[in-house]
Amino acid sequence: MEIAEERSGRSLVIAPLGRLDSVSSGELERVVVARLDAGERRLAIDMAGVEYVSSAGLRVLLLAAKRLKPPAGALVLCGIGPSVRTVLELAGFMSLFAVEPARPQAIARLESTAP
Amino acid sequence: MSAGETRRLSVPATDEGIRAALDALEGLWTAQGVSRAVSWPVAVSLDEVLANVVHHALAGRGDSARVELELQLEPGDPPRCEVRVEDDGPAFDPLAAAAPDTAAGLDERPIGGLGIELVKRLMDEVHYERKQGRNRLRLVRRLVAMEPEGA
Repeated sequence: MEIAEERSGRSLVIAPLGRLDSVSSGELERVVVARLDAGERRLAIDMAGVEYVSSAGLRVLLLAAKRLKPPAGALVLCGIGPSVRTVLELAGFMSLFAVEPARPQAIARLESTAP
Repeated sequence: MSAGETRRLSVPATDEGIRAALDALEGLWTAQGVSRAVSWPVAVSLDEVLANVVHHALAGRGDSARVELELQLEPGDPPRCEVRVEDDGPAFDPLAAAAPDTAAGLDERPIGGLGIELVKRLMDEVHYERKQGRNRLRLVRRLVAMEPEGA
């Protein structure tokens, strides 16, 4: 799977493209873990290019949320389309994540996060 | 919509096999002119079911283990999709597993069992049977748009 990254100030945006399924989720996990291990603490995951997500993809989002739990860090999801939103809701995951409509709002929220 | 279509394939019980199955499903949508907006729940469910088979039922058996698939689309308003998945692994009824707590907080949230719970919520019907030494799963969904609760 193709995974784009964009740095903005102290924040990093990771944007997976395509289907986030049991095969491709491992690739996203490797990128997320590598960036967190390297010290990234303000992370946005932009889901705008994701066709659909299965539980393997949810597992990666959950892993990132746990490692970036405030005050240790901050995670914001953005670009969530109808299929991704439906799966997040069915799994009861919406309440676990900070969500913004699109990347600019996600970055703004991360940049205004203390400290 | 055309007269409908059934595709049968046999894939290895590996990640490559899962990818091949999901590609075949996408090929069926394309051939039949079905939009992703209504077909995605079937793709998510097939991924969950195959991940279960490959990583649990047939784990460690490598390329020699196969999963047999039948992907069927019947025209109609709405069209109806039926997916059959068969393997010769140990008897395992994924539907018998306890449902996860989807209201738990971040720290208590388990991931195991979530996939099958999603399948149950995304599909209209899910059937399991053990027959002639094989696990047989059958998934059915009428392809109507599924809107998020908050939309």
